[in-house]
Amino acid sequence: MSDAKALRILFKSPVTDDMIRYLTNTTLKVIPCAKDAYPSPPSSPRSPRSPRSPHSPRSADKTSARSLPSLMTFISRLVRYTNVYTSTLLTAACYLDKLKRILPRDAHGLPSTSHRIFLACLILSAKCHNDSSPQNKHWAEYTDGLFSLEDVNLMERQLLQLFNWDVRVCDEDLYNALEMLLTPIKHDLVRSRKVFSRNYYHQRNMSACSSTSTLVSMSSSASVMSLPKLPSVASHYDTLYAHSESAATNMV
Amino acid sequence: MASSSQFKQLEKLGNGTYATVYKGLNKTTGVYVALKEVKLDSEEGTPSTAIREISLMKELKHENIVRLYDVIHTENKLTLVFEFMDNDLKKYMDSRTVGNNPQGLELSLVKYFEWQLLQGVAFCHENKILHRDLKPQNLLINNKGQLKLGDFGLARAFGIPVNTFSSEVVTLWYRAPDVLMGSRTYSTSIDIWSCGCILAEMITGKPLFPGTNDEEQLKLIFETMGTPTERTWPGVSSLPKYNPQFPQHLPKDLGALLQSQTREKLDGSVIDLLHGLLKLNPDKRLSAKQALNHPWFSEYYQ
Repeated sequence: MSDAKALRILFKSPVTDDMIRYLTNTTLKVIPCAKDAYPSPPSSPRSPRSPRSPHSPRSADKTSARSLPSLMTFISRLVRYTNVYTSTLLTAACYLDKLKRILPRDAHGLPSTSHRIFLACLILSAKCHNDSSPQNKHWAEYTDGLFSLEDVNLMERQLLQLFNWDVRVCDEDLYNALEMLLTPIKHDLVRSRKVFSRNYYHQRNMSACSSTSTLVSMSSSASVMSLPKLPSVASHYDTLYAHSESAATNMV
Repeated sequence: MASSSQFKQLEKLGNGTYATVYKGLNKTTGVYVALKEVKLDSEEGTPSTAIREISLMKELKHENIVRLYDVIHTENKLTLVFEFMDNDLKKYMDSRTVGNNPQGLELSLVKYFEWQLLQGVAFCHENKILHRDLKPQNLLINNKGQLKLGDFGLARAFGIPVNTFSSEVVTLWYRAPDVLMGSRTYSTSIDIWSCGCILAEMITGKPLFPGTNDEEQLKLIFETMGTPTERTWPGVSSLPKYNPQFPQHLPKDLGALLQSQTREKLDGSVIDLLHGLLKLNPDKRLSAKQALNHPWFSEYYQ
């Protein structure tokens, strides 16, 4: 139950740097990628059997020595350009987890592989969970020339095939994939509940033993002041929600 | 994974929302299939409708839902291989029109079809899926009298907090009044309204609310079912497209209205079920499970 509540609060808050950092780390854990732009030794002479290796460099890796942004920068830009909903963005983490489970342990990628993986997961998340979402043409534009439309179409198709078209997400998937982000919210919820019940207890006690209403209100406000300063978490996030909802209307 | 060479493409069966459907023959097994071909537009990528339809239907295995056998994905074409069905409910009803007079179906057949429709819908809803485009064209039937839900191009998972919904769903004639007034928080009740419209249409052979635009659609609904008020439907006036100037109508006698359009004797029970499916207030509409337990269906569950 508290997972469900924390998830609702998380999804209603605007996208934060913490979220982007979390997604960056999650993506980097999916598959080890070469750090260097040119990691592999010179390719072996082309054999007639495999004219093109499955990971043959496409546009990003031909030019990546100078233009490949860090994954975190890449994700931040996507978020800024698309004004993506928090929920759509974070649900991509479920697909990242799923992909990690599917890929063979010894799989490894090129420098831009993590960028591709993240983008493909985000596209699937947007297409599955919103009634209108950007076309791949637009997603390609959002990469600032890093990926062509053909690249984007290919990465989407490959991900769908890896998932065998099963792109359903359930509550449990979300709780597991987002546990790190949910835990602090759950703590806050518990703390604010405690503060609330303590205040409530104080007030009841005082109204019970005091004879004048003036005294009650004075002492009860004093008791609130003496407590550690804790903004009410729920109402704090509610305000953020109102903000994020209006900001998100023209997204995706 | 099947390959397209495994199937022989036969005659065209029709155009779906985003695809063309052909009859096909599985050359290895000799079994007929329906091949739904989706042209891939490179700018869009894989259409979200196809992604959802495949993802949802792969897991929906029920005798009243068309089975998806396989998917063939090439660079410029996506082919969905479905169970073959002889006909759809729209064409079947059209075929029974005499001259210019649409004819309703026999009540026993209406009951059997509605029962199967609600079974399929109940299974979708149990699996947290909304169909969102129930109409006679999307209900496939075969010569054994079986009815199955098809075309999940607009279907969506519900229940997880990720989703955002559009109110531009369901073919106009079968669209619920809350959705017509712009609700985006609809749930299973959106499909139930359609089931009510389809039930009435099977009885009379004519669509119950054949509007030509959103305003007229609401007008037709209110003329028959009555105009909702805050008293009959708390919260209705907060819906985005609610208009306090809606002309006020009292509910008509639905039984008499339908009886005037069919020769079969309608009993109170079927009209009572219709009222449950066509409640204006979505919270008061029957669930698919409740509808299946309605006395009108007692011969099936006794």
